[in-house]
This record gives sequence, structure tokens and C-alpha cells, in this order.
Amino acid sequence: MSTPDVELATELASLVRADSVHKRVYTDPALFALEMKYIYGRAWVYVGHDSQVPATGDYHTSLIGDQEVIMVRAADNQVHVLYNRCPHKGAKVVPEGDGSTGKFFRCPYHAWTFKLDGAHLGAPMRAGFEGTCFDPKHPDFSMRRLARVESYRGFVFANQAADGPDLQAFLGGVKSSIDNLCDRSPLGEVEVAGGVFRVMQRSNWKVFYENLHDTMHARVTHESSFTAAREKAAQLGEMPFELLIQDGNGEPYEFWEKLELRAYDNGHGYMAGIFNPAAADRDPVSRDHLAALTKVHGEETAREIMGMNRHNTVIYGSGSPHTVFQQFRVIRPIAVDRTLVEIQVFRLKGAPDAVFRRAMLYANIVNSPSSNVMPDDVEVYARCQQGNLANGGDWISMHRYAGTDLAAPGGRVSVNGTSELPMRNQFAAWKQFMVAGAEQEVG
Amino acid sequence: MLLDLAFDVSTANLRPAELPLEAQRGVEQFLFLEARLLDERRFAEWLSLWSLDGMYWIPREHGQASPYDHISLAWEDAMLREVRVGRLLHARNWSQLPPTRTARLIGNVMIDGETAAGDLVVHSSFQLSEWRNNEVQQHLAGACTHKLRRAASGAWQLHMKRIDLVNCDARLPNIEVFV
Repeated sequence: MSTPDVELATELASLVRADSVHKRVYTDPALFALEMKYIYGRAWVYVGHDSQVPATGDYHTSLIGDQEVIMVRAADNQVHVLYNRCPHKGAKVVPEGDGSTGKFFRCPYHAWTFKLDGAHLGAPMRAGFEGTCFDPKHPDFSMRRLARVESYRGFVFANQAADGPDLQAFLGGVKSSIDNLCDRSPLGEVEVAGGVFRVMQRSNWKVFYENLHDTMHARVTHESSFTAAREKAAQLGEMPFELLIQDGNGEPYEFWEKLELRAYDNGHGYMAGIFNPAAADRDPVSRDHLAALTKVHGEETAREIMGMNRHNTVIYGSGSPHTVFQQFRVIRPIAVDRTLVEIQVFRLKGAPDAVFRRAMLYANIVNSPSSNVMPDDVEVYARCQQGNLANGGDWISMHRYAGTDLAAPGGRVSVNGTSELPMRNQFAAWKQFMVAGAEQEVG
Repeated sequence: MLLDLAFDVSTANLRPAELPLEAQRGVEQFLFLEARLLDERRFAEWLSLWSLDGMYWIPREHGQASPYDHISLAWEDAMLREVRVGRLLHARNWSQLPPTRTARLIGNVMIDGETAAGDLVVHSSFQLSEWRNNEVQQHLAGACTHKLRRAASGAWQLHMKRIDLVNCDARLPNIEVFV
């Protein structure tokens, strides 16, 4: 039974203005709890890539908001997503991580077993259930599946709500970033490979999303790392890849102003690339990559694929793929002031090995916990988290180029690359999810 | 690229190293000196301990065999080590205000043997407390594998420092300074 909570809906709506947002959205644990229901309970969230569960019985644990889930491959090759909970006493059926459960799940507590789609398989000493309401066919005695699971080119998303748009409608224009990541493989397929990083941030999850398209912070926040990289490059008389990717943040404001920021419904978007795609003709790794793609598609299409030069993409609620260097920073809210970022690296099937080594190198240098670049980001996020607890004002500004956004196919585009369009777009989605959630509050 | 190197990280097939007691003590003192330079943030001196092509490595996986087919928490040559020091000493390194302070204990030093290239392979354990910003940032522990090389002067040089953290695959906060 649904009872709209009108008062709550009004209160939530009042937290987001067209050009600013109330600081409570970052600091209030009660709002965080509502986000888990209204956003992570209703949005499509990336669980993992199906290459992480290559064989029958392989599983990968993941998080959808505050819910621990299991992605598992069944014998019919289908990938299921289940809540990690045994229906008997509630024990987590598998430990956190990756593994294989064989032909079925077996709870470590009382040996209840379940098929790979979660359906009840058996419980020891059946006679003890005789004359009770225990019914192996009733869903209460099976591991529960997520309401909906859909995969797009191997990227598995799940949704806790049975109703709402399908995955592709939810992704909208940002689907093109997943396409481009896959199309960079001569076979059109990617796989998670080479390990993942997991980094903890002492800040709210939304700060990280905002920062992904925040071009005004780069040369301020990252002054220490780009200066150190530049000084070293000057000394060497060249700018190797390892330094180039730390140097980019030091570009002047005029550079960032020229970039294009795209915004789509549901908080998604992408930012145009900051590393030059013309490098395809200059550096040997890109040249070999282009040659491999040309062999399959012809030169025109190959150049088109590699010329789609995007920096961070935002899939709101899931994280940020980086198409050019084949990473996915998966963003998991842990608490109102704690965020986990899991960095996946992808191998482009059929591409030269050097392309994968470059992706790993980019991950090592930019996305590792010991990155030279990331700590200054993480520090300013934490400062926002702490600063917003002070009585120094209640609102956060998103005024830059407010009111100037232009319509573009399927969404909007910035008039200037330093626009705060992405933040305004993310909070428009936040407001939509939160208000709709309160209006549909289950009584 | 740093993942195209031919640098040999292997410590298999060692031959026994015959070191007199005094030389063994010298090896220990070298490891203690290295630890002390890092704890005292004497980074320039620490950088000078390295061989020209030496590598600093923190694997991401337990027992990781290679830095070339798997990501690493760190895989740094002289260039990247210098950039890290450059950043740590920069005036606007926001995440180092206040700076990280460390205290480490090195123990269980054992000489494992000598590589075909003549480098001495030394195993040790460490405990490292990292502090900044009014809270204990983290406590790191693990094993270290050093490859030490004799310089022409007769002094030891760091040729490889492999750090196997007990929690290499955990959810980690940033690791800004050298372990």
C-alpha cells in the first residue's frame, strides 16, 4: 500500500534550487538513508561486468546502495543478481569477493542449498518441516533475486524496483560511452582484467560525481602533482606518458573553457577528452591500435571510433567509465561521509597487448591508492565534508553559467567547459528521484 | 612505458650468499638507514640510495608474480619517485598539510641469497604507523624484499624494493609517502 509523504516530498524538493543546493544533502545521515531507498532503490546500478563471472557458478559480490548482492553465472549462461542473504537465518551466503560456488549455493550455517538463480534446492532433515508452513516453492524460502537485471554489452546492471524505464532508456545518451569503450576492441568486446583498486574517501558520494566534470578545480587542486610532473619533464626534455597524464590538470582556464560538457536525464553525462586523440598518429601504441581496428572496420570507421575522445563519463548511481584509457571508477556510497571507489581496468579483446598495458599504467599512476594525483582530490572532498558541518552558511553554489545551457540531442550541452551544468544536472536527477520516492512512499 | 620494461623482479633460483657477520650487520644497518631517511622525510638522501634503473614496487595482489600483467599499488622508477618527492615537498600539496608522519620498525632481516646478476636479496618485515591530521591515518604492515646492488664505491644501493602489504587488496585510503 502506498501513502504519499507530501510533507517529505516538499522538504526534499526545497533542498535543490536551480543554481544551488542545501549542504544537508552531503551531511545528513537521514537523507543518506532516504537516498538508499529512493535513488539506489529505484535506479539501474552497475553490478559488474559479465567477464568477472566467466564460468558456471562463478560469482562476484557487489553493492547496490546499502545492499550486498551477488552476481552469478548459471548453467544456462544467464547472469543473475541475488541479495546476499540466506532466507533461513539471514546469513550472507558467500563472503565478499570473487569465487566459484560450484553447481549451487550452500549456506555455511545450516546447509540450505539454492540453485544459481536463487531458487530453493534443499534443506537437510526434511521430515522436521512436515506439518509446517515451510514451502520450498514459496519465495520466502529462496534467495531473493533483484527485481530486474539487464546487461548492456556485458555491463550488468540491476534494479531493485520492478517498475520504471528499462536499462537503455535509463542510460539515454550516455550509452554511447559504453559503446565506444567496447567498439575500441576490434572484436567489439571488453573484459575486466589486471585487477581492481579499492579506495576509501572520507566524503559523501555526490562530491565525487560532481568533481568528475569539475574543470575549474584541476589546476588549483592538482597544482602539486602537475608542477612536479612538469618540472621533471622539463629536466628530461620530453613528456613521457607517465608524466603527460599528471600534467593535463595544469592546463590554463582557456583550455578547459573550450571543452564540451554533455548532460543527459537521470544525472548522466560526459566531458570531452583532455588528452589529444591525434596522438593516434603519433604514439606507437595508438598507431598499432588504430591499425588493428582498421583491419576490421576500414580506416574511416576506425578513426571515428578512436576519435571519439571523452574524458570522464558519468553514469549516475554507478560511477565513471573512462573510454580512452579503459577504466571504470565504480562509486559505492558506504555512509553519509564515506565513499568506496572501485577501479576496474578493461582489456579490449583483439587489441594489441600494449593497449592493455597502457590502461594498467594509467590505473597505476592516476587511480591507485598511492596515486600522486588523487590524494589532493580526496583531501578537498574531505574538507567539503567537514566544512559543511560548520555554521558558515547553508547553500552550495552551482551558479557558473547557470541559465545558459543549450538543448542538444537527448539532453543538454554547456556553452562553456567551465560550466557547472553537470552538477545542476546531477541534482536535478537527485531531486526527481527523491521527490518521486517520497511521493510513492510505501506506508 | 613503465610496463614495457625488462626489469627482473624474480627472486627465484638464488645462489647462497656467503657473507661474514660484519657484512650481514652492514646490510641490516643499510635497511635501518633507509627506514630512518623515510621517517625523517629526508627524501633527497633516500633517492640517492637507488641504482639508476632500480624499481620501487608495491604489488596489489598477494604473491603477485609480475607488475607487467596486473595493476600495482606502486611501480615506480627514478622518474616517478622524483615526481612523488616533488609533490610531497610542494608548498600547495593540500593533502600534505599537515604532512604525513611515519614511524617504522624493520625486523626479521634475513639474507636469502644472490641473483645471477650478483644482487643480494634480503627479506625483512616491517610495521609502519602513518599519522596526519589529528588521527592515525593507517597502520601498514608486511614483508619487504630488497635487491641490493654493490656500487663501485662498495656501498649498497637499492635496486629493487618490493613491499608486500598484508592488506594489499583491501579498501585502502591514499598512501602518499613511500612505504
